[in-house]
Amino acid sequence: MNKLSARKILQSYGTILALAVIVLVFSLIRPATFFTVGNFINITRQMSLLVIISLGTTLVMSINEFDLSVGSMASFGGILAALMAVNGVPMPVCFLVPLLASAVIGAVNGWVVARFKVLSFITTLGMSTVLSGLTYRLSGGATIFQGIPDSFSTLGNLRFGRLPLLSVLMAVFVAVFWFLMSHTTLGRKLYAIGGSEETARIAGIRVKKYKIIAFALCGVLACATGMLVASRVGSANTTAGDGYFLQSYATVFIGCTVSRKGVPNVLGTLVGAAILGVVANGLTMLQMPTYVQDIITGGIIIFAVIAQKLGRGDAR
Amino acid sequence: MLLQTEHVSKEFNGIYALRDINFGLRPGEIHGLVGENGAGKSTLIKLLTGVYRLREGRILWDGKPVAIHAPEDSRRLGIHVIHQDRTLILTFDGIENAYLGLEYPTRMGRVDWAAMGRRVRGVMEQLGIDLDLKKTAAELSPPQRTELEIVRAMMGECRLLILDEPTASLTDQEAQRLFGLLRDLRAKGTSILYVTHRLEEIFLLTDRVTVFRNGAQVETFATADVTREQLIASMTDNAQVRAARRGGTFGPVLLEARDISSADGAVKQGNLTVRAGEILGLFGLGGSGRTELLECIFGCRPLAGGQVFLEGEAYARPAPESSLKRGMALVPEDRRGKAMAGNLTVRENVTLSSIDAFARRGVVQGGREAAAVDGQIGALQIKLAGPKQRMIELSGGNQQKVVFARVLLTAPRVFLCDEPTQAVDVSTRSEIHRLLRQKADEGAAVLYVSSDLKELLEVADTVQVMSRGRTLERWDNEGLTQQQVLSCCYQETERGEAL
Repeated sequence: MNKLSARKILQSYGTILALAVIVLVFSLIRPATFFTVGNFINITRQMSLLVIISLGTTLVMSINEFDLSVGSMASFGGILAALMAVNGVPMPVCFLVPLLASAVIGAVNGWVVARFKVLSFITTLGMSTVLSGLTYRLSGGATIFQGIPDSFSTLGNLRFGRLPLLSVLMAVFVAVFWFLMSHTTLGRKLYAIGGSEETARIAGIRVKKYKIIAFALCGVLACATGMLVASRVGSANTTAGDGYFLQSYATVFIGCTVSRKGVPNVLGTLVGAAILGVVANGLTMLQMPTYVQDIITGGIIIFAVIAQKLGRGDAR
Repeated sequence: MLLQTEHVSKEFNGIYALRDINFGLRPGEIHGLVGENGAGKSTLIKLLTGVYRLREGRILWDGKPVAIHAPEDSRRLGIHVIHQDRTLILTFDGIENAYLGLEYPTRMGRVDWAAMGRRVRGVMEQLGIDLDLKKTAAELSPPQRTELEIVRAMMGECRLLILDEPTASLTDQEAQRLFGLLRDLRAKGTSILYVTHRLEEIFLLTDRVTVFRNGAQVETFATADVTREQLIASMTDNAQVRAARRGGTFGPVLLEARDISSADGAVKQGNLTVRAGEILGLFGLGGSGRTELLECIFGCRPLAGGQVFLEGEAYARPAPESSLKRGMALVPEDRRGKAMAGNLTVRENVTLSSIDAFARRGVVQGGREAAAVDGQIGALQIKLAGPKQRMIELSGGNQQKVVFARVLLTAPRVFLCDEPTQAVDVSTRSEIHRLLRQKADEGAAVLYVSSDLKELLEVADTVQVMSRGRTLERWDNEGLTQQQVLSCCYQETERGEAL
């Protein structure tokens, strides 16, 4: 009986436990630099952008679809915002226009998937390519950094005392989307569609509408991430968002293991991003080359998926 | 004895699903296994087929103890199982499906399709089954798929064939063919373990019958020595009563369908009316378009023509969300695929259609929702660990009750029920009948589809037949006999085939 409950605990909190172990290991190796308040604040800032883009991925995966265009959407958002800033457009407009554009593009993704029942894989792969083309057309393929006003970089670099604005933004986004997914009818309906689309439809849920909403929100979050990246580094690159694509899926997959039902969820996504963030931060401190980080990150993803299968008893 | 279980028990997390089963199967007999959902029938099958690991008791095969640790072990002994949810690969043709799990013969390094075809055809000939092996499983009808599964089981040595609700999706006529096949197999010495909820099949088919209740073996009877009432009495603690038929008059017409045809041609001409207080039983053989007609009326299948009227008003462009708003609800036939989300909790399933009613400005009010869900769980006597249990963990009967709970929370005046008692235990079945009768008495209109004619004659006030996409004659259910209804059905079917 004892063994059984130990297994239960591992199933429910295994991923969080893993995060704790990783933190512990790095703390033991680098007590002076890793295990400090300053570094932890640093980690929250480093993971904030990944968290925001992954929230969108979480939404789309909760309805059992994929959005492969999040990476190029982020690049697109960064370039568009930076370009407008360079041309002297007022700052709020620089950030609002890309958000609106991304909502429309995301909605188109959702509409094509829902209306024509095209696999979201293919639809968003196509949209991703379209976006890359648009981004190239806008920027001419060059990195935009000359003439970017200082005010453009405020969002990504502002600090309240020691606390970066990005970390605060992350907390706000997590809180809002956690509430949305677990306490609103929207969240319920998205999970219902993810659980069984046909059942949801017959139960009177307007599947098309909610698919479009999920894809639109995902687009907006990806675009916001891209703009924050550009603001943070003070330049926009045509491929700046690409790296976030796989990472965001890794985050959500790890996050699924936090849920007893094995579904994408906001708190899980936060834990997933924290694991990737802590590992990246710790390995950098150990001066490991980036390829080691890649190997370890990939290993964590595979391990997380296996752990989830074992936890749900699928593997008997 | 071909197979014996000695003191076999199986527990899950401290709860016994099977307790001390001592069960014997003779060579060359058809042995029925009956019991309500959750009685332990599936658990026994899973132990025999190596899906679950046996930890308590032992299994004897030909009198010798055997260990069945995996499905392969079971197949090696000659045990084959045909599940309710068929296990063919839909994109494979007949030969490939028959050879699933078997080594493909080769000739000079290449797969010898000709030899495979010969062997499959040989087995088919022995069994007297005629199938087009070039067709993929997806192109076969449900009875043909069952036949293909039997062919597959017979590819090797099959000493015990287990069938789990094989007739759930078959019409009577198709079931008769299956029974003929099973009798032939018995004559050839194969033992058959036959699991079903349909008691008439037990009497038609089996030599002996074993009853399970709450994970225990109640009794094994020689089928000839037992009556239907005795069987039911030993399956349930209290003997079942027939649903009371109502006399008296009906209210105004609540649902009318006029000349409905579906875009895909499955429904050609659907005409029916259901009045307040009435249960209309719609009977049709497989492929008659009954499910499709219901889906057209409810709005989840595109219409080509025709008109639906609700409470006398024309209802243009039906869609599920507007149907529910207008007080019409559908209980679909395909429970797992269309009526429930297995991975969600029971609570989420119950409020799936009515969640907006438990929210203010889009924010779910948990307390109000929980109270409503608890109310339904209590009223329908749904057995579960708690409202946060996952739907998939419930037994079939309880899942169906949850589906009804969801539907009831939308307060419907018109119920469209498609095979609502399929794969449901005896007591849930009569509870569903009682519930619908109660709703009818309160003034609702119920359209009740079933391929079980006896059941329809038990519950319905009026009976209408559907065949080949068209609705036909309609009778008051007074002194109506099965022969009357069936002869109308078959006449139409034959006339259609002659055309």
